[in-house]
Amino acid sequence: TVTEEGSSFPLPGVNVIIKGSTKGTATDFDGNYQLQVTNGDILVFSYVGYVTKEITYSNENTLNVVLAEDAAQLDEVVLIGYGSVKKSDATGSVSLVTTKDFNKGNIVSTDQLLNGKVGGLRITNSGGQPDSALNIRIRGGSSLSGRNDPLIVIDGVPLSNINPAGVSNPLSLVNPNDVESFSVLKDASATAIYGSRASNGVIIITTKKGTSGAPQFNFSTDMSINKAKDGLDMFESNEYVRFIQEYHPELANKLGVTLGSVQTNEAISQIIQVTNSDGDLESRAIYNTDWRDNVLRTAFTSNTNFSSRAYLFNALPFRASVGYTNAEGVVKTDDYERVTASLNLSPKFFDDKLKVTTNAKVTYADKNAADVGGALGGSLVFDPTKPVYNTASDNRFGGYYFNTNVDGNNLILDGQYNPLALLEQRDRPERTTRFLGNLELDYAFDFLPGLRAVVNLGLDASKSDKTERFYDNAAATYRFNSENTDINNNFVFNPGVNYRENQTLTNTTLDAFAQYTKSYNDTFVSKFDAQLGYSYQNFKNDGNSEQYRYNEITGLREVNENPANLNNRYYNEMNLQSFFGRANVDLLDRYLFTFSLRADASSLFVADDPWDSNAWGFFPAAAFAWKIKSENFMKNANFVNDLKLRIGWGKTGQQDITAAVGYYPNTPLFVAGSNSSQYIPGAGLYSALPFNPDLTWEKTTTYNLGIDFSFFKNNFISGSFDIYQKFTDDLLARVTVPPGQGFSDTFVKNVGEIEGKGFEVNLNMNAYQTEDWNISLNGNVGYVYNEVTDIGGQANINRGGSLRGTGSFLLSDVVGEQAQSAYVFKQVYDTNGNPIPGAFVDLNGDNIINDNDRYYAQIAPNWTYGFGLNVSYKKWDLSSGFVGQVGGNLYNFNKLNYGFTDAVVPANNNSITNALNFYDGAANPAFETVNGNIQFSDYFLEDATFLRCNNIVLGYTFDNMIKNGNVRMYGAVSNPFIITDYSGLDPENPGGIERDFYPRPTTFTLGVNFDF
Amino acid sequence: CTDDLDTEPKVELTLEQILEDDPNAIEGIVSRLYASFALSGPNGPGSSDISDDPGESPFLRGIINLQDFTADGMKNRWGDDGLDQLTTTSDWDANNKFFRYLYNRAYYTIPQCNNLISILNTSTDIPDAAEALSEARFLRSLAYFYLIDTFGKGVLATEENLGQTDPLPEATRRQLFDYVESELLEIQPTMAPNNGYGRANKFTAAMLLAKLYMNAEVYIGESRYDAAVTYLNQVIDEGGYRLADNFLENFSGDNDRSPEIIFPLLADAVNSQSFGNTTYIVNGNLSSDTMTLSDFGAAEGWQGHRATEAWYGLFGDLSTSTDTRAELFWTDGHNYTMTDYKEWTDGYPSIKFRNTDFFNPTNLTTSFSSTDFPLYRLADANLMYAECAIRGAAGADLSKARDLVNDVRERANASTITISELTLDFIIDERARELNLEGHRRTDLIRFGRFTGGSYVWPWKGNVQNGASIPEYYNLFPIPEQAISANPNLEQNTGY
Repeated sequence: TVTEEGSSFPLPGVNVIIKGSTKGTATDFDGNYQLQVTNGDILVFSYVGYVTKEITYSNENTLNVVLAEDAAQLDEVVLIGYGSVKKSDATGSVSLVTTKDFNKGNIVSTDQLLNGKVGGLRITNSGGQPDSALNIRIRGGSSLSGRNDPLIVIDGVPLSNINPAGVSNPLSLVNPNDVESFSVLKDASATAIYGSRASNGVIIITTKKGTSGAPQFNFSTDMSINKAKDGLDMFESNEYVRFIQEYHPELANKLGVTLGSVQTNEAISQIIQVTNSDGDLESRAIYNTDWRDNVLRTAFTSNTNFSSRAYLFNALPFRASVGYTNAEGVVKTDDYERVTASLNLSPKFFDDKLKVTTNAKVTYADKNAADVGGALGGSLVFDPTKPVYNTASDNRFGGYYFNTNVDGNNLILDGQYNPLALLEQRDRPERTTRFLGNLELDYAFDFLPGLRAVVNLGLDASKSDKTERFYDNAAATYRFNSENTDINNNFVFNPGVNYRENQTLTNTTLDAFAQYTKSYNDTFVSKFDAQLGYSYQNFKNDGNSEQYRYNEITGLREVNENPANLNNRYYNEMNLQSFFGRANVDLLDRYLFTFSLRADASSLFVADDPWDSNAWGFFPAAAFAWKIKSENFMKNANFVNDLKLRIGWGKTGQQDITAAVGYYPNTPLFVAGSNSSQYIPGAGLYSALPFNPDLTWEKTTTYNLGIDFSFFKNNFISGSFDIYQKFTDDLLARVTVPPGQGFSDTFVKNVGEIEGKGFEVNLNMNAYQTEDWNISLNGNVGYVYNEVTDIGGQANINRGGSLRGTGSFLLSDVVGEQAQSAYVFKQVYDTNGNPIPGAFVDLNGDNIINDNDRYYAQIAPNWTYGFGLNVSYKKWDLSSGFVGQVGGNLYNFNKLNYGFTDAVVPANNNSITNALNFYDGAANPAFETVNGNIQFSDYFLEDATFLRCNNIVLGYTFDNMIKNGNVRMYGAVSNPFIITDYSGLDPENPGGIERDFYPRPTTFTLGVNFDF
Repeated sequence: CTDDLDTEPKVELTLEQILEDDPNAIEGIVSRLYASFALSGPNGPGSSDISDDPGESPFLRGIINLQDFTADGMKNRWGDDGLDQLTTTSDWDANNKFFRYLYNRAYYTIPQCNNLISILNTSTDIPDAAEALSEARFLRSLAYFYLIDTFGKGVLATEENLGQTDPLPEATRRQLFDYVESELLEIQPTMAPNNGYGRANKFTAAMLLAKLYMNAEVYIGESRYDAAVTYLNQVIDEGGYRLADNFLENFSGDNDRSPEIIFPLLADAVNSQSFGNTTYIVNGNLSSDTMTLSDFGAAEGWQGHRATEAWYGLFGDLSTSTDTRAELFWTDGHNYTMTDYKEWTDGYPSIKFRNTDFFNPTNLTTSFSSTDFPLYRLADANLMYAECAIRGAAGADLSKARDLVNDVRERANASTITISELTLDFIIDERARELNLEGHRRTDLIRFGRFTGGSYVWPWKGNVQNGASIPEYYNLFPIPEQAISANPNLEQNTGY
């Protein structure tokens, strides 16, 4: 095995050759290699960025080699748009994360490899679901109504912003085991070449390639157990009975069930006597149900991968892999299965003049989209005195307990659905097959050495289908036949298909560019390269659905035919075209200049004429880097291994407002009304849709100053520091239209500005190294502050976040505050520190409490960080990763919604609901109701500062367990603990409001990895 | 290749496409203009034409919230922020979303009308263009009427300035009044006497003119009762409408059969679903806690609205009253006095509107209502005529007024009255008995000088159980903050 000196992690792709021959191989991604040698041969181990090592072979069975990083070179290659550059020559702010840096443990989706590794990059998922939606922010994002997600490019194919139907996390469709590296492009000088979609940064993902050398195989498998942490402190049954009797004695007759009316194996915890609505005494059986326990489970996850690399026919580098993942969510029936296959071929032709690279990745994902929100929400509110099951013969609902009521001739469902039945009475498979592939042709011309032409064709296509199906006796399909008045048999169930959707996404890419590179010796200009190119991207989303409704008379399900759109089709197409150029000039091998310019057109801004000036945006960038270490005056500064200063400026663009206003925002169009939105009988309804003919590009200008450094022996400390400012103008924001002057009250307009500033530090420390020991630390900190500086004269822009009741919102954008801030009142507390409901501080001192006393509190944190520790001792290795944030707020909606004593009172039914425990401090009984402004109190907005341990991994490598290979076994625990003062479920939540949060489980993993 | 940048939609349509594909396209656009008073959006009850909540924001729901809950006869108990302030006529401010809803719906409808008017003015080859044009102009006037009545000013958006992006200047109440008057005077004479059920005709426009003139003293400080009588006479004498034999015919699922309704806002449990049409009124007054939902053809009871004694008190003792309208309150399990407006059992739910058919009652229960909302009906015209006569309008005749009022009362099995009993005090009470929950009450109280101040109080007026005085500026609602922020030419109403 070849390992890295600092971390003792295996090094993949190290060239191993026998000196003086052409015989050689390369290490696989676990650092293993195999070579036929004879005694006395000298083996040369070389790898970019590391000091080459020569070892004379003397009959060892295995020869383990440790390579030291070559600080003077630091020749890691980072990918930039349409090319790559040695890290030491990079002029932009680019972070590289490679295999050795990846997070380990229970990794299901590719983003998990990267979390916490790069300063200024915040990755948050929406919860603990295997396919949970992803929120990635580089430097906090820069738009309001446009997208804030970075552009993701996989092997040269830029991904669409639209996920295939049924896929919440686009990065779950790439097998993490196939990933070789991430390049995170943060500043405009690095991203401007991607122009149109690069305002929020770029993440370039490359997958593993074939190599020359002997065939290598890898087989790995792991098994994980996932368990949710404790939930909210809701009442358990006995406390709930006490609470109802104390606070709402008139509701006591709704506790439990009439004694004897239910048949179940569950134990009755107590029997109480109540006066029922007829004034008679009645015995009620109280059960003790923990609904959360009933919808959650201990979940199992397994990943199995097999890959091989080979040099086929001594000419064709080849890599292929297959992977299988089976991930259960901790909510019952939330199942996820994935099969992946990938193939990479990279042959060369015509004396290596033509390099061909082709990647193909196929993924099939099958998940059951269980109603996890409904089940988790239901498990909070459902009355804990009710049983889970009822097998009495008169129960209609498949053995599950449901609250019912007699209304006229109908036995109607009353109140919440049994949360377990929500999961188990329904099945919603969502299946996606995706192909992601590219073919790159790179031809070097004879007639002018240094000139080459590159054409890259990419295709990202997927097909998805969803089917919703209900089982027999599912409560959701329970209806009445209005022609039958017999309460005992006038009901129907409608098992079977309730919804279907098919979707096809076809995204095509073509890039073509010519590049000319020339190096000079001993001249003022040491290197020059120039590039000119064209890029075409087309995104097509075509789908349709089959919808059903229940016949109002018979209660039977029928197809809901929409005459205006027979198969409920949706169709969206977006097209982007660009011309770009870039020049790099190196002076005296110390001063590096980069200039780039890109012109972009977006179909969103084209009404008819593709050459319309609104359609085109121009995005220039310039950068300068100074390799200080190469200066003569640094020659004697031996403690400095590397020192480079970077200055960059650039503009990038934003056009994706499709989430706010669709794909044809500047064209006057009509939409036909669906069949439940008709008015005059016999006339199909047509509405004019709002549009804005003046829409054009939003532009972000970024200034960046950065330093890369490495100091002391063995790169004791290395890292980078970046400080930046960015200005977004012509901001695309959904704003209020002057009344009467548009076809809706709000629409997107180029209005306003945002200013952002921040800095990032990445540090690595090789703390302690001996023959047996290796201890290293890594860490990063990012500070980001984005302030809205202009919204076109409006008071604020509503950003949603409705709490109790619709139409009143917590979040908005306002000048002088961070984007999407919470607009709240300052809570008044009594002398004991308890909140006084509805009492707020009169901030403006006018003796009236009204909206003028509200203030804005930030949601997004300013500080995020991540750090890790790696230790190895002989064949043992231990690594850990932590992430966290300082500041930022999260609204604890559950504390509001279940934290007032009237929360248990039925609203428009006869079923009481559970609440937070008022007896042990989980909620404050001073809150009787939360109407009016109480919901906007900052009492519910809590500091979301946290430190999470992401993972701890302990491994041991056996290098002689199998012949010609090695075996590594490891155990890992993911998310073992989190430190926070936040009182809700989980402070790591990008939405700003915590509701029915899907718990992030603690995971224990055992894995084994074979290389041979 | 750059032609690919001009992407073409396949589901959404251009005007040319719909005119080409659908011979009824213009009727479909007209249909949408009507629909904007009842439906929330193009794609079922969960969709919204505007950025506001599809459930809460529909036009008709706004009319009920702003005209009935702010007045004496109906209260809502949900305690929703904003609705609570309407129900208690207190703490009104420009951020109250319920003001915004009506404002946004009116200013959604107006440009949609302007767009069709502009299309019809510029395309010559569209059949039946004249009728569609007058319907669109009527509906635009109706939307403006609500702005005049509730906010007292706005901007004058017409087909002339369609597409302009610079904020329009503020238009005063009089400017809007004059515009609506001139529009209606121009189209009314040429409109068809009958244009099919649910569609505006000559008499619908006459009714709107009469409403405008009735309230001219409030709107522009001029007495125009004479003009109101002119148009009421047209409606009463020439319209061919007659009072339904039974009051409930107007408020049941099959009220499209009622001969009394001049202009309904349509609803259908299957094809025309909305949380803001009569569904809001029917379901809102029901609760399985104290009632049987299926008796009213409803599948859901929202446990929200109840009448107050300011309404049912006008019938005297409900258990002995012979007035059939006195039977339309649910008293079982409810208290007469609304001690706490948030308590469901305080006050009587109104069961005037229901979803069951009047002529052939069935066992059918639906989530949405099929009952049309009678925005204008003949009984209203009768009472308006009587009021004009009492106010001394030229051309109005007191004995005719008495007969018209007695027609209304006899239909309800209430005692007839004499000319001497025909007073303004009587009329305002009779309007309550007959028309409450039909979206007229606040306007009526203002016209009678009874809305603000303390001379007339009702339960929870001014957020006090027995009622308290409210300031005079409450005669107008505040201009929504959102509107002022989008158009700086708009100035807030005095007092807010």
